[in-house]
Amino acid sequence: MKLSPDEKLDPLEVLRDLEHYRPRRKGWTWRRRLTHQELGPFVLEDTSEPLARSVPLPSAHSFGDIDPQSDCVVTTEIASGRFEDDLRRMRMAAWHGADHLMVIRTTGQSHFDGLIEGTPEGVGGVPITRKQIRATRKALDAIEDEVGRPINFHSYVSGLAGPEMAVLFCEEGVNGCHQDPQYNLLYRNINLHRSFVDAAEAKRLVADGGLLQIDGAHNANATAKHAWKVTPELLVQHAINTAFSRAAGIPADRIALSTVPPTAPPAPKLRLDLPYAVVLREVFDGYRFRAQQNTRYMESDTREATVTHALDSLISRLTSVDIQSTIAPDEGRNIPWHYNNVAGVETARQTFMGLDGISEMIALREDGPLRGEARAILERAVLFLEEILELGGYEAAVESGMFVDSGHFPERSGDGIQRDPQGGVAAGSVVARRSDYGAPVCSHFGMNACARGGEKACDAYGGCTLCNPSKIRYVDELDPDDNVERRLERPLAERGEGLLRPEVEKHGDGVVCVTLFVPERPELAKAAALELARRMGLIEPEVIHARVLHPAEGSVFEVRGVLNEVLQVGELVIPEREARLPHTEIEAWVRPRNLHVVAGTVGEDEHSVGLREILDIKHGGIERYGFRTHYLGTSVALEDLLDAASAHDACGVLVSTIVTHHGVHRESMKRLAALAEARGVRERLLLVAGGTQVTDALARECGLDAGFGRGTTGQDVASFLVRRMQDREET
Amino acid sequence: MPVTPRPDDFDERRARLRGLSDEELRARFWSRVEEIVAPLVEEARTHTTPSIERSVLLRMGFSSLEAVDLVAGMAERGLLGHGAGRLVLELSARRGLSVREAGLALLEGRHWEELVR
Repeated sequence: MKLSPDEKLDPLEVLRDLEHYRPRRKGWTWRRRLTHQELGPFVLEDTSEPLARSVPLPSAHSFGDIDPQSDCVVTTEIASGRFEDDLRRMRMAAWHGADHLMVIRTTGQSHFDGLIEGTPEGVGGVPITRKQIRATRKALDAIEDEVGRPINFHSYVSGLAGPEMAVLFCEEGVNGCHQDPQYNLLYRNINLHRSFVDAAEAKRLVADGGLLQIDGAHNANATAKHAWKVTPELLVQHAINTAFSRAAGIPADRIALSTVPPTAPPAPKLRLDLPYAVVLREVFDGYRFRAQQNTRYMESDTREATVTHALDSLISRLTSVDIQSTIAPDEGRNIPWHYNNVAGVETARQTFMGLDGISEMIALREDGPLRGEARAILERAVLFLEEILELGGYEAAVESGMFVDSGHFPERSGDGIQRDPQGGVAAGSVVARRSDYGAPVCSHFGMNACARGGEKACDAYGGCTLCNPSKIRYVDELDPDDNVERRLERPLAERGEGLLRPEVEKHGDGVVCVTLFVPERPELAKAAALELARRMGLIEPEVIHARVLHPAEGSVFEVRGVLNEVLQVGELVIPEREARLPHTEIEAWVRPRNLHVVAGTVGEDEHSVGLREILDIKHGGIERYGFRTHYLGTSVALEDLLDAASAHDACGVLVSTIVTHHGVHRESMKRLAALAEARGVRERLLLVAGGTQVTDALARECGLDAGFGRGTTGQDVASFLVRRMQDREET
Repeated sequence: MPVTPRPDDFDERRARLRGLSDEELRARFWSRVEEIVAPLVEEARTHTTPSIERSVLLRMGFSSLEAVDLVAGMAERGLLGHGAGRLVLELSARRGLSVREAGLALLEGRHWEELVR
C-alpha cells in the first residue's frame, strides 16, 4: 500500500487482504540523534533526521521552511472510538512530527476476560482487536513511508487479558505498550494476585518481542488530590513495576518510566516539579523516561493548557527525555479533536526547537535548594518502602490503603485506595502450577516442564506462532452490524458523491466551534452566546469554554455545535491561482527590456518586510530577474509613487498595504486607481497591491490590476507582470 | 488494618537516613524494592491464570474464541495447574493428531476423560 500526499487514505485499501498482512518490523525504534545539524540559516544541536514530508511550524516560513525534528520520540494519544477515522488523524499527526501513536482502549476493555475480535465501535477509545491492530499497522507502514520515519504503534497490555494482549502485540508488530500490574489493582480493582501473575507472563512476551514498556505511575498524579505530594510514592510505584519487569526479563533500556511534572501554574511549577524530575532520573539511571504532560490541573482553556505543556517540555529538556508524550489541549473539555492532537504535538516540537542547545549554556544549580529537596523526596520514598515492609509486605500495604493517599508521606490522610488482596475482579482465578505444569511455547515465564533441555519449548509441534506466524488464527468479524465495513458505507458513499461536511473527530460529524466575545455580565453573556450560535444555524450548541474578561464588560466563549450543511465539492468555486512562469523564462523576457518598477507601503503604515521580500534580490524578489526597482519606503503618499513612476518611466507600481482599520487598505487601493486615471497613466501602468488582508478579487474590485495576499513570492508577482506585458505586446 | 491519619513527622523519621550518602540512600531504596517484589515474582513463577493459559493456546495456533472454550473446559475440570498447552500437546501425541486437531477434538467434546491420566 502506497500513499500519495495529494490523495486521501483509502480505508478499503487498508482493509483489503488483511488476513495475509504481516508486519514488516517488530520492536521499538528510537530516533537517531544528530548534533551540529545545519538546517537553513541555523546549526542545531538536539535534533534527529528531518522528515521526507511534513508541515513545518508556521514561523518556519521566514527560515526557508525548515522543519527540524527533536532528538526524542514524540507521542500523541488518539482514540475517537472508530479506528478508521483515527487512521486519518494519525497521518496528520505524523506529518506534524509524531512518531509514537498511542491508541486508547475502549471503556470496559480492562474487565473483558479475553480478547475482543472484529472491529466494533468503542466509547472513549477503540476496542483493541487483531483486525484493528493489523489494519492500523498496515496504514502506519504506509504513513511511515510517506513521512520517511519509522512510526511506533502503541496500546495497553493491562486488564484481565494482559498475557493474551501481549501475544497479540508481539504477533502483529505493535511496538510499545503500557504494562503495570499496579494499574489493574489500584484503578481497575482487578485482583492483586491475578494482576501480578498475569503481568509476569505479559512482561516476558514484551521482553522477547522487543516492545518498549511504559509503566502506569502517572495515574497517581492524575488521581491524587494534591499531585505534588504524591512524588515519594511515585518513586515507589515506578520501582515496583521496574523491579518486577527486570525479573520478567525486560532490559533496562526498554523500561520507560511514565513521569508527569505534577503541578501547573499558578503553582510555582518548576520549583516544585524540578527536584522530583531530577531525583527520579538519578534513582532510575539507565532506564528510559517517557515524559507525559500535566492533565491533573487542566481546565477547558486550551491556551492555558498549551502554556503548561510547554513548561512540562521545558522540564524534560532541563533534565532528560526519551519520549515526549503530548496531551491535546482540549482534553480538559472533550475527547480530543483532530486538530488538537496536532496542536499538542506542535507545542512539544515548538518548545524543543526553541530550547535547542540550551544545555550548552545553562545547568541546574547544585548549590541551591534543588539538591536538598531532591534528597528529601528520596528519603520519603525510602521511608514509604520501609513502612510497606513493616506492615508485612506489598499485600498488607495495599490492604491498608497506603497508595494514592493525599498526605505527603510520612503524612497520612487515610484516604488512599484500599483493596482486598483476596478480592476484586477475577478474585480466585489464580491457580498453583502442578509439578508437571507445562507450556510448550516461547516467551513463557516461570516453572515450565516443557522448557527443559536445550530445545525450544515449541519444537515438539513445529513451532509456536512467535516462531511460525503462519499459524496465527485470524478472526475477521463476529458482529454483522457493528463493524468497520458497515460503518464505512455512508462515508464512502458520501465521498463518492462528492459530499463534504466539516468534522472534528469522526467522518462528517458536522461539529464546528465558534468563538464569541459578548459584552455583558457572565450569565447573560452565556445565554446570548448560545442564542447567537443557534441563529448561526448550529444544532445543540454547547459552551465548551468560557472565560470572564471583566464581570461587567464581558466574557469570551467557545461554542460547539453541529452545522448541518453538506456541500457538493463539484459546485465549489476555487479562485484560480495562475501558475508561475519558470525563473529562466521570466528572466529571459525581463533582462533585455530594462523595466522599472516603483514600490512603497502606502497609508500611515510602517510595515516594510513583506514588500522588501517581493523586491529584494537576496529574498528571491523580482530584482533577480532584472527588474529595476525603486523602493520609496513606508507611509508613502500615492502622489509620490505616481511621480516616481513617471520619472523612471516605470511599467508598474507595487503598493503594500497592511493596516486595515476602517477599511483604509481598500481606500488606498481605490485612490491609487483613481489618481492614475486622473493623470492619464492608468493604461500604461500595471497597478499591483499586496498585504496580509489583500486578495486578488479585492484589489480588482478596487480598480487595480492584481492583488497578492499571504505566502506570495517575487516569482508570483514577476509572473503576473510578465504575462500582462506579453499580452499587451501581442495586442 | 487501614491507614490512620497522622501528621508529617518526616523530620523525626528521616533521622535514621541522615548518615547515608546519596549513593547509599539509592542502594537502600533498591534493596527495599527487591525485598518487596521478591514474593510477587515467586508467586508468578509458580502460578498461572486463565489468561496465561489462553495466551499459551493462542501461541499454539488456536483462535481467541477456541482458547476461551478450551481453558474454560479445563478450569471446570480443575486441570489448569497442568498447563492447557501441555494437556493439548500430550493428547495430540497420544492420539497421533496434530496439536490443532487435538484441540478441535476437545472443542467437539471428545477425549476430555483422557487429559490427565
